[in-house]
Amino acid sequence: MNPDNEINSENSNGAVISDAASNSDYYELPQPDEISIREKEDAMGAYLMMFAAIAAGLPLPVINLVASIIYYFINKSKSKFVHFHALQALLSSLIVSCVNAAAVFWTVRIFLFHRLEYNDAFKGFILTVVIINVAYIIYNLIAAFQARKGRIFYMFVFGKIAYERIYKVKSNVHVEPIRNMPPK
Amino acid sequence: MKLSVSLQESNSRGELLLRTLFGWLYIYLPHGFVLIFMGLWGSILHFISWWVILFTGRYPQSNFEYQVKLMRWQLRVNSRAYNLCDGYPAFGLDAVDENITFEVEYPESLSRGLLLLRTFFGALYVGIPHGFLLFFIAIGAFFVNFISWWAILFTGRYPAGMHDYIVSMIRWSNRVNLYMLNMTDNYPPFTGKEIES
Repeated sequence: MNPDNEINSENSNGAVISDAASNSDYYELPQPDEISIREKEDAMGAYLMMFAAIAAGLPLPVINLVASIIYYFINKSKSKFVHFHALQALLSSLIVSCVNAAAVFWTVRIFLFHRLEYNDAFKGFILTVVIINVAYIIYNLIAAFQARKGRIFYMFVFGKIAYERIYKVKSNVHVEPIRNMPPK
Repeated sequence: MKLSVSLQESNSRGELLLRTLFGWLYIYLPHGFVLIFMGLWGSILHFISWWVILFTGRYPQSNFEYQVKLMRWQLRVNSRAYNLCDGYPAFGLDAVDENITFEVEYPESLSRGLLLLRTFFGALYVGIPHGFLLFFIAIGAFFVNFISWWAILFTGRYPAGMHDYIVSMIRWSNRVNLYMLNMTDNYPPFTGKEIES
């Protein structure tokens, strides 16, 4: 372990583990009984932001993304456990929102402006979008239930990114730049 | 629930006139604008909390605290609208107002049966009886507010009885709101008086 990291690596348990494979240091993952009920609820709430558009009564999927972003920034400082789930939920929401936006854009171009052709490529894309959305909802619900139990559920790709971002020990050694100099 | 708005020793006539003439511009418009978005976020949290209560029997504490803070903010603005206290209402969820107390005890658990009952029949057994009474109390409050306005203008003091009447109405309606927002399982009493818990 890098001694520089040793000085600055503090997590909720005050422990750091070393990953031999990647030669990196990671904060120790908290176990369910070490996490407060409030943290579990806050972590779960991140995934439930996928229902924000329904709650707001506005038929705009982008509301879910906006809600996820707001939720992330409100909760990211609460704990690493909450931060991890909020980030994972945000990343998944970001991708799904982009895919949905593309689907809406394509649909509008075909049916409203008649600029594009209604073809098999469009049908295939819409089917893909439906599958992605169904998978997104199922994965989010599973992740929400796991978060409520104080467990970490890694989503495909996003889980790894969020883990690296939150649990990887970063060197906090910060050298202040010298600004004031003696006269020459 | 604990709600009180302290009766000031004296009220400023200047502020009264300023609020009446320009209050919409410097109090209600900026606060209303921000509160629309805060309320939208509150409704999202409320919707999510409903499902969480249904599955876990608990109101997520962070969401609960947000709703209480939002109601406290609205109370700060409403108190000025009713001329109950002077001063500019503070912006922000964590702001403190020395004239106003609004505390709600966090319930460790909530009944799922009551949650469903409230959702499907709340309008019947809460909305109709309380709404009916609060409607007439609100009409009374309109006249009380009008009379108290003149009383402040001439005497520089808000009449204590009238102050109590308005605060009681606000307290009553807040109790109904708390119940309908699933923040308590206690059916709201048919009174606006402070009740020792």
